[in-house]
Amino acid sequence: MLISDIKSRPVYERLSVDASGRRHLVLSDAPRPLADVIDGAEAAQAPLAYWYVASTSAVDGKPSAAPDAAGEASNYAPHETRAFRAIPHVMDRLSHRLARESVGLRLYVIGEEGFVWDVVRLAREAGMEESECRTAHAGSLRRKVFCVHCKTITHNVTTSLATCEGCGASLVVRDHFSRGLSAFMGVQADAEVPGELPPVEEMFP
Amino acid sequence: MSQPTVALRVTAAVPLSPLLKGFTFEPADGGRVAPSGPGAHLRLFLKPGDRVHKNAYSLISNPEDRSHASIIVRRTADSKGGSAFLHEGVREGDVIEAGLPANLFPVARTARRHLMVSGGIGVTPFLAYIAAFEAAGTPWELHHFCRADEAGVFEALLAPYPASRIHIHAGPVFGGLDEVLARQPLGTHFYTCGPAVMMDAALELARALGWPRARLHSESFGGAGEGGMPFIAVLRRSNLEIAVGAETTLLDAIEAAGVDAPCLCRGGACGQCLTEVAEGEPEHRDHFLDAEERASGRVIMTCVSRARTARLVLEL
Repeated sequence: MLISDIKSRPVYERLSVDASGRRHLVLSDAPRPLADVIDGAEAAQAPLAYWYVASTSAVDGKPSAAPDAAGEASNYAPHETRAFRAIPHVMDRLSHRLARESVGLRLYVIGEEGFVWDVVRLAREAGMEESECRTAHAGSLRRKVFCVHCKTITHNVTTSLATCEGCGASLVVRDHFSRGLSAFMGVQADAEVPGELPPVEEMFP
Repeated sequence: MSQPTVALRVTAAVPLSPLLKGFTFEPADGGRVAPSGPGAHLRLFLKPGDRVHKNAYSLISNPEDRSHASIIVRRTADSKGGSAFLHEGVREGDVIEAGLPANLFPVARTARRHLMVSGGIGVTPFLAYIAAFEAAGTPWELHHFCRADEAGVFEALLAPYPASRIHIHAGPVFGGLDEVLARQPLGTHFYTCGPAVMMDAALELARALGWPRARLHSESFGGAGEGGMPFIAVLRRSNLEIAVGAETTLLDAIEAAGVDAPCLCRGGACGQCLTEVAEGEPEHRDHFLDAEERASGRVIMTCVSRARTARLVLEL
């Protein structure tokens, strides 16, 4: 019942530094060694910053020039590393930075799809082009699901059917992805025969 | 489908400098001029002798004001007759045949800010751009390079607009753009129009400063399909052999033979006229095909491209 050959499903590749950029900003929704996140960082000819979400109150988002708690042990040195307490903090810092940026910046985002596309939307709203943002998926496949009936977004969906947090409808989670909403479309599963639902499968671990 | 034409009456022909002349047109039968957008050009069908010159000129008039259409014409030293004829042979009251406005240099609608670099007469599309930007309140910045003796002409053309946005660089040196390109906020798009060497230098500089292709725009008036070796086009499905002369385009020759070929922009940009090549080697002049398609030699954009071989067999 899941409709899967849908073109809007984003395709991800491993991140690599775009040599034409004059400044690079890499964002991750979890602490990951930079070398695991992106190829070419050590050879980058332009300043590179690495911002990641540490999900702990022990960090303050301040820049550090040295490799740090993300466990980096290789020989490259990003010009700036910042560890953020949580996703809203990195988003605030990103808005602030983008408002002051100029053409020449390249953005790289890795993480769960909700995070990735929230960042891309912020970048687009700041005037960045799609060709200036590279995306990769890492971590859980869980989805944000947009109820096409009541417009509520239900978070952390891992199953083929989900109960809408807004209207309680049983939604089929489609592969139809909205980059604007960073969410997958959910449509009522028992619209034809109320109460008749397909089996629930764990699909997005 | 042949290109529709309209008859335009010259309502003003004003010399701006020894080599520049401004023309204003109104429809010969009254009414309003055809709609266009900033960056559009008008193709004039000029008949100084027994040949027809189809010259394209950027519209400088505000597209929102459809009472008239205006252009500026530079009399080129190596004029094949078109610009010289406009300068010397066309007077107020004359009626000229013209194509409908076409736009191969449109404004990027998503841009937050517009940076323009022009050389000489290449400022013309930007006069229409600026009228639109001012009306919409979108930020813009113009860097204009011109000969010292013509700076006054361009200053006068730009006089209605805020001086803080306009930078006229008079003299032979093209430069100083590094700092300008390096400080443009995200969301800026870059446009250039002028001599090919200047446009190439400006685009190269922008790329070196990290500007992706999607932000870069340069003028290319169609008309690139004229000029080249004559060749024979064989239309296999129509069972026709047609001669494509040096001064006509492949598409025009196909249409003249009465074959209804697909086309839209007539400038090598839109992809509509893509046609399969069965034999012969195309000389690609379009902006549509990618490197792989060009190398394959199996497809051609008939509106601007020609043949390297004496015969070109098309699936038409």
